[in-house]
Amino acid sequence: MAVSPLVKHPTDALQQVTARAVSSPLKNANSAQASSNGTPLSVSVVPNASAAMQSASLDIAERMNEDEKRKYVRGKKLGEGTYANVYLGHLRHDPSQLVAIKKIKVQKEYTEGMAPDAVREIKHLQELSHPNIITLHSIFSSKDQNLNLVLEYLPLGDLEMLIRDTDRVRYGAADIKAWTGMLTRAVWFCHENFVLHRDIKPNNCLIAADGEVKLADFGLARSFADPYKPMTTNVITRWYRPPELLFGAKHYSGAVDVWSVGLVLAEMVTRAAYLPGNSEIDQINLICQGIGTPTEENWAGVTKLPEYTVPKEVTPLHGKNYYISRFGVIGHEGVDLLMKTLILDPKKRITARDMLKHEWWHKDPKPTLKKNLPKKSGGEEKLGDDLKRRPGVVEEDRGNKVARKLDFGAAR
Amino acid sequence: MATEDARYRQSSQFRLWSFAPSHLASLRSESNMLAKTAISARLQSSNPPVCPIPDFLTPAEEASLLTYYTNELLRAAEFCELPTEIRATSAIFLRRFYVTNSIMTYPPTELLKTCLFFGSKADGFYIRLNKFAEKFPNTTGEEVIAAEYILCQGIRFAFDVRHPFRALEGAIMELRRLESFENDRIDRAHGNARNILKYSPLVTDAYFHYTPSQIMFAALSLADEDLAERLIKNAFSGAPWEVEKKVVEVVQSCREMLQCEPPEKMNDQEVRKAMKPLIKKLKKCRDPDRVDLVALQKARKEQAGQKPKKPKSGLQDDEAVFGGALVDEREAKRRKMAEAANDPFGPALG
Repeated sequence: MAVSPLVKHPTDALQQVTARAVSSPLKNANSAQASSNGTPLSVSVVPNASAAMQSASLDIAERMNEDEKRKYVRGKKLGEGTYANVYLGHLRHDPSQLVAIKKIKVQKEYTEGMAPDAVREIKHLQELSHPNIITLHSIFSSKDQNLNLVLEYLPLGDLEMLIRDTDRVRYGAADIKAWTGMLTRAVWFCHENFVLHRDIKPNNCLIAADGEVKLADFGLARSFADPYKPMTTNVITRWYRPPELLFGAKHYSGAVDVWSVGLVLAEMVTRAAYLPGNSEIDQINLICQGIGTPTEENWAGVTKLPEYTVPKEVTPLHGKNYYISRFGVIGHEGVDLLMKTLILDPKKRITARDMLKHEWWHKDPKPTLKKNLPKKSGGEEKLGDDLKRRPGVVEEDRGNKVARKLDFGAAR
Repeated sequence: MATEDARYRQSSQFRLWSFAPSHLASLRSESNMLAKTAISARLQSSNPPVCPIPDFLTPAEEASLLTYYTNELLRAAEFCELPTEIRATSAIFLRRFYVTNSIMTYPPTELLKTCLFFGSKADGFYIRLNKFAEKFPNTTGEEVIAAEYILCQGIRFAFDVRHPFRALEGAIMELRRLESFENDRIDRAHGNARNILKYSPLVTDAYFHYTPSQIMFAALSLADEDLAERLIKNAFSGAPWEVEKKVVEVVQSCREMLQCEPPEKMNDQEVRKAMKPLIKKLKKCRDPDRVDLVALQKARKEQAGQKPKKPKSGLQDDEAVFGGALVDEREAKRRKMAEAANDPFGPALG
């Protein structure tokens, strides 16, 4: 039960519009600690005189927006997409502080106001402040009523780039452990705050200049539903989608994200997607082959799910040796953790919190220090690519991994 | 970090939308003052100038009207059969919006529809725009979303509102677990507290000053004081005595606030009738340029379309002074005439 009676009123809210409107731009200066208690890190922005005179007669809201906008300088374009353009930017008063400015385009095909994916992304990023989750520094609107999201600048690409670049990027068990740890902390934090990410995959795990993994793209995220309230199953990019969603379960939990984390871990090890289904049916088949056929024995109630269909030939659950032969690089404990994330029955699947308590983290090798993690240069372009995508979907040329777009029309 | 208090302090509700009462009052009077100045200037520059300048609403009058319009929003939400949380989110959006905007500047009858539509969207409940608009007399979808952008800016892009409903469910489960009260009694308290939560905190400033759990305790205490007391005692057993005392005081003050607006008021015709004079007054002193939000929205879009017009022309300054946009052609013409009238050399010879 929530008992939080000792909360004091913040002293900064709307007090000095120049100090902090959406959130402090220095919020990420040192990951979460600096800002997690809500203490504003004051930023001294000196507004120029003529602008100040103008603002005297703007509404307070308009004035705050102007103040936010003035805090940043927009630089070159990093990427252009149908959903958004991404620019490099920096703080006006300190050009060494870089940011990425994601300018969301007005969408022609959605005529009912602000697009739901943008609303979801803003809603959740506003609330989540964690070293392993991309920071939303600020939002402002430009004259043409386009939304500008000022995001943390993450120049070193994403996990997918590292996994795919087998020629130039080498990494080992300690590196995988470090990356998995950071991703798991991000997912744990989302769940701790009652948010389901619903699109975890390697190219949504961006990498900061210091090597920190940052979970991005909250365009499909939602808060936990109240009991009995149905949710859509049209989420999570197919290769990372858990069996309960493929079977049409309308009530689900953080276990859906944990499954995705498990598949990201598997992919890091083998440097290829473990279950790359090219259709939903194929995805179910691959799960049956790669893990085992979901049956009443290993998952009570599964046959009652609305879209339960499995190949006639039942594959029994694979034992530990099966996984060791494929993923042995991460050791016995690593394989144990992997297997627990890929338990078919979501009720039995490990939670993000329990993942963090797993013994794997304490075994040798220790996770690589951030600064020693393998990196790749030339990520700037990739950040542009990653951020400009419509949240929740990938461009068609990324093959079969397109998360199905939510159908807003169908849901009344 | 792990404590709920620490997490609550990270929420936009705390960071951006919690105030001490004096601070909230000063923001509202500033918004009121800015609106008066801007509207006076606009009325005077219209052609013919509006004379005399009407009486403006005082901050206290704006506050009463805000309560009235939040009530109207809740009645509309009931009519639309929206889920409880969405009604509450929408109501809070409306109240937040009018912290930094005056009721005289943006018409609350329009904004409340925008709040309901956007509140649904923000809570992941996607209603078709036109279907939604149909539920209101003489309302088009275009009108509903005309102010969506202004609303989002006004609520500072904080789309997540923390409600006390789940806290109440938790409290009720806890009470059942204690097994020291009759089930009937708990059920009654549950129902009554929930009714209070669905109304009283939404039409008062409770969300600005108290946390969801404080609001929950206040409502539960109104419904059945002993039950609330027992839970608080349990929660703070082992904590220093002063801490519990402080909590009890905060809950008490929240309770007093909720008591001013009991749920029975929602459909009280007398209360609504009493608002008539203020509504009349509002009609006389509202912003002439922002009555028609659809036109305003069009003008803003058009203005954005004619991009390269950067540095300071006289017009640009004018826009800045008058808050961004020229309303429509008629409006632009009117303003040109007004400018011409000010020109000591008179208008061009025609």
